[in-house]
Amino acid sequence: MRRLPVYLLLDNSFSMKGEPIEALKEGVQLLTSTLRQDPYALETVCVSIIIFNTKAEQITPLTDLVAFQMPDIKADGVTALGEAMSLLARRVEQEVIKTTHEKKGDWKPLIFIMTDGAPTDDWKAGFNELQKIKKAMVISCAAGEGARIDVLKEISDVVVELKKADSETIKKFFKWISASVGTTSKKVDLTKKDISSFNELPPPPPEISVVP
Amino acid sequence: MNNLAAAKTTDGLVVEYVEEIIASGGMKDVYFTPDKKYVVAIFRDQSSRDALLERVEMISGRYRENIFEKEAGDYWEPLFRWPLKTLISHDDKVGILVPLYQDHFFFSYGSINGDFLNIKGREKEGKWFASPANRYKYLDKREHGDWSSYLKISIVLSRAVRRLHAAGLAHSDLSYKNVLIDPVNGNACIIDIDGLVVPGKYPPDVVGTPDFIAPEVITTSHLERDDPGRKLPSIYTDRHALSVLIYMYLLLRHPLRGDKVHDVDDPQKDEELSMGEKAIFVEHPHDSSNRIKIEYVKKSELPWKDTNNLPYTITGPYLKELFDKAFIDGLHNPAKRPTADEWEQALIKTVDLIQPCWNPGCDQKWYVFDNTKKPACPFCKTPYRGKLPMLNLYSCHTGQKFLSDNHRLMVYTEQSLFRWHINRRIIPNERLSMENRKRVGYFIFHNNSWLLVNENIPELYDCINKKAVPVGKTLLLEEGSQLLFSREPGGRLAFVQMIENRT
Repeated sequence: MRRLPVYLLLDNSFSMKGEPIEALKEGVQLLTSTLRQDPYALETVCVSIIIFNTKAEQITPLTDLVAFQMPDIKADGVTALGEAMSLLARRVEQEVIKTTHEKKGDWKPLIFIMTDGAPTDDWKAGFNELQKIKKAMVISCAAGEGARIDVLKEISDVVVELKKADSETIKKFFKWISASVGTTSKKVDLTKKDISSFNELPPPPPEISVVP
Repeated sequence: MNNLAAAKTTDGLVVEYVEEIIASGGMKDVYFTPDKKYVVAIFRDQSSRDALLERVEMISGRYRENIFEKEAGDYWEPLFRWPLKTLISHDDKVGILVPLYQDHFFFSYGSINGDFLNIKGREKEGKWFASPANRYKYLDKREHGDWSSYLKISIVLSRAVRRLHAAGLAHSDLSYKNVLIDPVNGNACIIDIDGLVVPGKYPPDVVGTPDFIAPEVITTSHLERDDPGRKLPSIYTDRHALSVLIYMYLLLRHPLRGDKVHDVDDPQKDEELSMGEKAIFVEHPHDSSNRIKIEYVKKSELPWKDTNNLPYTITGPYLKELFDKAFIDGLHNPAKRPTADEWEQALIKTVDLIQPCWNPGCDQKWYVFDNTKKPACPFCKTPYRGKLPMLNLYSCHTGQKFLSDNHRLMVYTEQSLFRWHINRRIIPNERLSMENRKRVGYFIFHNNSWLLVNENIPELYDCINKKAVPVGKTLLLEEGSQLLFSREPGGRLAFVQMIENRT
């Protein structure tokens, strides 16, 4: 059975300290516990967490929802988004099962990037590596005004912006992610744009706006 | 505390609801009324508002009346969550008022280990029961039901779909999300009725839910909606979805999800081909290319995903025939798919073939008795022991000639005999009178003999010994016994075959 790999790239630089980082942890908890209540997601979704500040680190390798345990995340350092993307590219290459003529592999991974600041390293180098694995859907979330929308637009299929980076809004973001991972009826007039194995994105709540 | 909002029904009543979304489906946002007895669902896409309004008014109005305010109307109430009213919200959006699901469609216990998934009180979406890991690894034992529960659920579901189709309506999005099931009591209920399709009148909004979309709909989904080649949901695609649901509930695997790879580079493309143009039944007798490969199956998915161990033929001859029609003959030929009515009839007949398993620890408890091989429970492999009468039913057609009804009854202790067994013209469905719902006899095993106790079969006649068996008396069943149940038109005759397994 194909798995649906979900990679969360989470910015834990110094500026996330305090309420934002706590909300982020709560958000991931909310995401995984909500998905566990969905019998479709429970069987197919696997989650990995990559955090990035001065360095990038995969703190949770790709894990199924039942085995998933929330790691601790602390905020410090700067925003090495480039390194995070190249680490992501390597992990996807290794963890996501490719289809062969004999065996069905995994669905294309779904990648959520959440950041509140401008990248402090060579993000283009990381992005190039990510592009090599290409077959993924990337959704970025700019949490607060410090994020570089232009950079996110370049690396993502969809960019959303949080009006405020407070705990309520961050939670709503994760709730929205969980709704986008579940399965629903497919509309007759699907936009033919391929958005990975999952459905069209549900409309975000008013606190979150899609950057055109 | 959330605020209350008010909507107005199109017939002028005010309905209040709590302004907090409790669920968001593909098409609607859903809210509770303050008493939580109803939900208000507001359509998100209001772009073709007039058409939407007209359609939901028909559904909550005329179509509702046609089903619920006719003969046997009460029978259908628990089988559907049908919109009661059409609403206009305070900001002028179209919505519907729907009764909340009945209590038995919410988990009483939820998952194992003190409900580690935290699903107690949540609705029993069919998917929880349609895969081995979900049903047997995660759900509390008290939520499982046994194999006969899923037969019962399939009957109720087929009956409900048959009723929709008889009214000329197609659900258009039957899936385990839109059918709630309750294995504990054998209930099923069709929800999300608002997407109903009326051929030639109201076109569908959705193509369906993955796993249930008919192959021709997937194959033509790249075409524009009004392209003459485009296939959209209809009664024929409902039939495909119904067959998939029944197969999944009884066998806990998907009939088309085998291991054949159609596209190595793109999982989405592979999915489209394997569910669409190139779809093949995983148990196709002459094409084994899409078998489920046992080496890739997880331990928690056994024995269900092992099609050699539990082939679809364990569902008995009547269902086997319909699965062949659904997934071999009719998979790419919609006109050949079995109708909901055929499913209902075949399932009802299959109930007469089941036997209790001798193993008290058997999870499934019931199985279809197959005397072509050494009879045993296919699930736990416990052999059948002892003597078992099988009644082959014949009925009187034109005058005096008795013809086989292709219907047999496997007897077990305290099994009931009903009016629909003794007369071909009586069919157990919503129109069955209260009088005909009462049993007319039962079987017991006493002093090493099988007896039929006549409770209310006035004309019961033992044709071999040529004597009447009055009400209150018993009739001994032996190899070759011939029982005439009724001399009325459609009255049945049973030929008794005794099966004995000494091992």
